Amino acid sequence: MAGEEKILHVRVTAADTRALRNLLRDERLDVGGGPAPTPGPGDERSIEAFVTEEKALGLEREDVAVHVLGDATAIGRARQEEVGTGDRFADPGIVPHGLGQKVKDQSREG
Amino acid sequence: MYLNITEVDSALVNLSGAYPSLCELIDLPETSVEGVACHALRLRADPDGGPRDCAVFIGGVHAREWGSCEILVFFAADLLEAYSTGSGLVYGGKTFTAAQVAALLEGLDIVVFPLVNPDGRQYSQTVKAMWRKNRNPEYSTGVGDCVGVDINRNYDFLFDFATAFSPLSDVRVSADPCDPQVYQGPRPFSEPETRNVRWLLDEYPRTRWFVDVHSFSEDMLHVWGDDENQSDDPDMNFQNSAFDGTRGVDGDTAYREFVPKDDLDSASGLARHFTEALEAVRGKQYTAKPAFDLYPTAGTSDDYAFSRHIVDPDKGKIHAYTIEWGTEFQPPWAEMKLIAKDVCAGLVQFCADAPSTVTD
Repeated sequence: MAGEEKILHVRVTAADTRALRNLLRDERLDVGGGPAPTPGPGDERSIEAFVTEEKALGLEREDVAVHVLGDATAIGRARQEEVGTGDRFADPGIVPHGLGQKVKDQSREG
Repeated sequence: MYLNITEVDSALVNLSGAYPSLCELIDLPETSVEGVACHALRLRADPDGGPRDCAVFIGGVHAREWGSCEILVFFAADLLEAYSTGSGLVYGGKTFTAAQVAALLEGLDIVVFPLVNPDGRQYSQTVKAMWRKNRNPEYSTGVGDCVGVDINRNYDFLFDFATAFSPLSDVRVSADPCDPQVYQGPRPFSEPETRNVRWLLDEYPRTRWFVDVHSFSEDMLHVWGDDENQSDDPDMNFQNSAFDGTRGVDGDTAYREFVPKDDLDSASGLARHFTEALEAVRGKQYTAKPAFDLYPTAGTSDDYAFSRHIVDPDKGKIHAYTIEWGTEFQPPWAEMKLIAKDVCAGLVQFCADAPSTVTD
């Protein structure tokens, strides 16, 4: 959509739990999921967030690093191309099927 | 491809038409803010049988978490087709026998409400993919981010968060109508979408389990979401104003939310059964944990559902959960189908095991 502000998908990594908690309280980030320990030694904790480019730059500080994972706006536009158009179930006779395999067994007999 | 909002609804209508003896189409009492009619399905075999315990599943609350609707449509479709053909269900490495499927539909009422927030989904799928809230323009300028309420902050649980929570808490809720994500609304149940969910819980008073399907973080969350759990001090609870201003701080002892040990064991056990079945499909490891471990919240569906019997002892106890599927809000559709298989296996196991957890 023309004019839509670009949103980045970022991973924010803080030196420890307290630093991340302070950041979340102060910055009101749009997060996906919750804080998680960063692999490897040390107390680093990270969280994924969705922020503007300007906000991403503003998050960087001594005990906080920001790593860009992707362009959430561009990914969102691409995914919108994967949404059905019209109504694939407009015919009442078309019944949706789930993804499980239906397998006959003997367990209901007798 | 993902379902658009018309397709989510017509999928439910067609399922009810294809399996009239196994399911009933439920008209929710309120349309969405933009006037979209909402439907749910009740699944039960032997429809003339007596009252039964009920499990309610909702999805499509947060607009951008698209796959939640598909998961619940597939879940209902799988159960109906398997039962009607006398089949079992296989999801990758996880198998349910025909007898297990039959026992489930003959022993429980299963209510599936896949699209709570149709206006938000429509906006996310056609305009701004990252949109989360509903599309109510009434509480501010009605422009840009100043539209909409976060449905999953609009329930009646510690709604007055400024009083209830510590100023040190990073509780994920806002009273600002222009907050782009977590505006709670002007009062509990201000939104028709939230009232529809409450109506389901009231309409099916034997609801004992409630699951709200969200993304993302690969978790199966159980109560509580406002603070850490404790089972030793019943007076330290969400109704006790003596603890106002202390809630929502991680790692402290000033406040922890009371939950009886039996309830906690039941809630965490069933959550683990879900994750174990899910992992059997293709090895994905979800974590069963209290919702507070994600972040502190107020006004969420799961805490509201479980708190109902505490606030009003005439209401039944509902064990309440939030699924956070996947690692992104909108995976490519090919990946979303794999995630849906994982979660459907977990949901079938959840329903199969839920009745055995009833002790009262």
